Amino acid sequence: MELLTLLLILLLGLGGGLLLQRWPGRHGASPTYPQRAPFLGGGTPDTHAWSRYHIRYYPMTLLLIAFEMEMMFMYPWAAVYVEQGMKAVMEMGMFLSILGVGIVYGWREGVFKWQ
Amino acid sequence: MAASVMLEQLFWPPVLVFAVLGGGVYLWAVLDGLAARLLGPPQAQSVWLSPLSRGAWLLVQQANTTEAPDLWGWRLAPALYLALAAVGLALVPWSRDWVATDLATSLVLWGSVEALATVVIFLHGWSANSHFALMGAYRYVALGLSYLLISMFVLIGAALPAESLALTQIVTSQEDVWNIVRQPLGLPLFLLVGLALTFRGPFNLADTRDMAGGTGVAVSGPPRLVWALARSAMLVAFSGIAATVFLGGWLGPWLPGPLWVVLKMLAVLAVLAGLGRWFAVVSPSRCLSLMWLVLLPLSFVDLVWAGVVALL
Amino acid sequence: MAVSWLSRLAVRGPATVFPALGMHGEDALYRLARDPGIALVDTPRHAAILLVAGGVPPHLQDALRRVHDQLPAPCATLWYQSEPLLELNQPGAVIIDDPAALPGAVKKTWRRLITREQDTAPRLLPDTPPNPWQGLGDDGHGGEGMMGGVPYGRPMAMPPTPDLRDGLALDVLTFRLGPFFPLWPAGLAAEVALQGDIVQQFAVVSPAFPQAVPQIFVEAQSRPVAIAELERKRVQHHLYAFFHALGLAHLPGLARRALALAEQCDSRPVQALDKAFTAFERALVRRGFFALYLPRGATLEGEDARALGGVAARAAGVEDDARHADDGYRRLGFSPVTQQAGDVPARWRQRLAEIQQSLRLIGRAEQGDAVTAATDSIELPQGTGSAHELLENQLPGLEWSEALATVASLDVAEVSPWPHP
Repeated sequence: MELLTLLLILLLGLGGGLLLQRWPGRHGASPTYPQRAPFLGGGTPDTHAWSRYHIRYYPMTLLLIAFEMEMMFMYPWAAVYVEQGMKAVMEMGMFLSILGVGIVYGWREGVFKWQ
Repeated sequence: MAASVMLEQLFWPPVLVFAVLGGGVYLWAVLDGLAARLLGPPQAQSVWLSPLSRGAWLLVQQANTTEAPDLWGWRLAPALYLALAAVGLALVPWSRDWVATDLATSLVLWGSVEALATVVIFLHGWSANSHFALMGAYRYVALGLSYLLISMFVLIGAALPAESLALTQIVTSQEDVWNIVRQPLGLPLFLLVGLALTFRGPFNLADTRDMAGGTGVAVSGPPRLVWALARSAMLVAFSGIAATVFLGGWLGPWLPGPLWVVLKMLAVLAVLAGLGRWFAVVSPSRCLSLMWLVLLPLSFVDLVWAGVVALL
Repeated sequence: MAVSWLSRLAVRGPATVFPALGMHGEDALYRLARDPGIALVDTPRHAAILLVAGGVPPHLQDALRRVHDQLPAPCATLWYQSEPLLELNQPGAVIIDDPAALPGAVKKTWRRLITREQDTAPRLLPDTPPNPWQGLGDDGHGGEGMMGGVPYGRPMAMPPTPDLRDGLALDVLTFRLGPFFPLWPAGLAAEVALQGDIVQQFAVVSPAFPQAVPQIFVEAQSRPVAIAELERKRVQHHLYAFFHALGLAHLPGLARRALALAEQCDSRPVQALDKAFTAFERALVRRGFFALYLPRGATLEGEDARALGGVAARAAGVEDDARHADDGYRRLGFSPVTQQAGDVPARWRQRLAEIQQSLRLIGRAEQGDAVTAATDSIELPQGTGSAHELLENQLPGLEWSEALATVASLDVAEVSPWPHP
């Protein structure tokens, strides 16, 4: 039931957002081609914008994946942390310090620079 | 009997969520307007009226399109962002047993809302097929991937003493002392996450002026209004989570619980409005270094701190 | 009537203006930026009013037409000290020459436009895609083969080229930006090639409109003039530069403060100016202009810096300053201040230091009514060299926000041979 409510809220937000965008304006005609051209301060593009884009933070995304995997373990870990006590501390401490070394290594390799 | 349960579970929660969202968005606009008047250039219109005027103008303006947009994606993105905000707000407990949707894993769900927000913001910029919008979208992803970890570490820090991932449990765990005192690094870090989540102030990497408005460069009219609404709505949902996790949610003397939540949300929004207007925008590569080399280690410290305090 | 209450509500908001600056159009920009009832925006999509300020040379008029057509309805155009485009030069065209009348005219047009007293402007360019494509070629996408077409009138991105930073071969986005790009000097148009958001190539197509020097600097070349007056104009020039850069840094409040200070330069007592400036400088640092926003790169080396002259040269440690050779200045104890780094933050620090220095000079000069001694070489507020060629060498390799911060830190516009009107 809780999830059903959540789904309902999601759909209402989605529907409302879509409906409001279709607000009946007073401008019936759809934009002309010159209006639809990308804004470049009066300049013109040679190509469409969509391209094989060069993402500069690509190495960072790889590092993120390592952390994201850790997150998955962390949720259940958080719930039993107090109950397990020192054992939980040691486990996550080791995990985190290994990942911390990863950050230091990444930093040395210039992962967080835009390159 | 069934009808009353339906009413209880399916009618009132959405009404509550959207009422708070509507009121919250307006109050946020007013607070942000106040901050803008304090820290920014003077404005002619009253702070109460100007959000309404702006909205009215966007409804009057023609909706723009581009040469070959992914129109579905472009129109879905604002609606999805709004829906995500609504889902986020639905998780906020207003009192011990008055929650729109009381899940055992509401903290995890909020985490996924944050992650999906990045996808939606990217979609909004990418689907316009416009040069600056595309650049803004890709630039934002760098930030979106970075704040995710910080957010999760500070939230998990708050989950440790509660021994639960439910927001209601996290509130009851703060009966003696609020998390803002117990884990002093948590809220400041989480506030920065809030700015990043809605690309505001120093963390406005998506819509910077150097790209003539970035992801918003080609948007006008009602779609732009919905996007602005959704962005504010997400901040309102964020303030609800922040008030719950760090400021003790409904806990507080004299006043009824829900009122406390509202007051705490407004306090969070006011601080965010000030922070957002105070700082200059961070350049992208510096933002990445700041996130990973300063804020992420700080969130580690926060987690360790929370862990030690929880065991003592 | 649904539309009417919306319009009544909408009309009470600020008038949204996209400024397309022609020659000497900055005055209009500064005037509108000071008006709380007007919101200047960065893209025509967010505006209802196109303000063409200053003359637009014939070869840039097509670009103006393109910008004009990018405003969504309802929209209107205002001409400030400018000749309307031929097809818009009709009896109804709003032409303003008096700077004081400009904000009022903008608001009036906004009101008429939103309440539908005035019709939205007609489109100037034909409603056709940039290239014919529908039904042409194998797949009806306007060309041969998979990648050869022009779907929706444009080809897909360019063939892969090795990147400057890491040599990875991915698509290059090429476009011409300007001359009405509001975040860099008016009139500047350039052919830009980007890979990701790193500039790969930058070629100036049309230089920034020459910037007029204030009248007093022209007079100084023929007769001794009051040093205080010269220095006040110099301070003003630097503060206008701060106005642009602070806008880019998302600090509109501080930008407004720089503008207000600049406007007060002509008449306000120097002690008061000095006090306000010190507070401004402190706010600049506190709000992260240096720490958060400014990139470290774009360092100018000796020769480049010397060729450029002015603030950029002195920020790179070149002690060139014509004031040094002037006896009038020397009597006031003038000696050039310099920075060593020569990068973007150094240029802004140099501007701050020179404003401070000028304010001190004004104080001393006003006590003794000091005048200039030399008339053959006058230190202008901006450097005399051309920065355009420099941009073509400096910008490639920079990330886009760094590139724009670099452009903002330099006096790109050349000095106009005619004084400010």
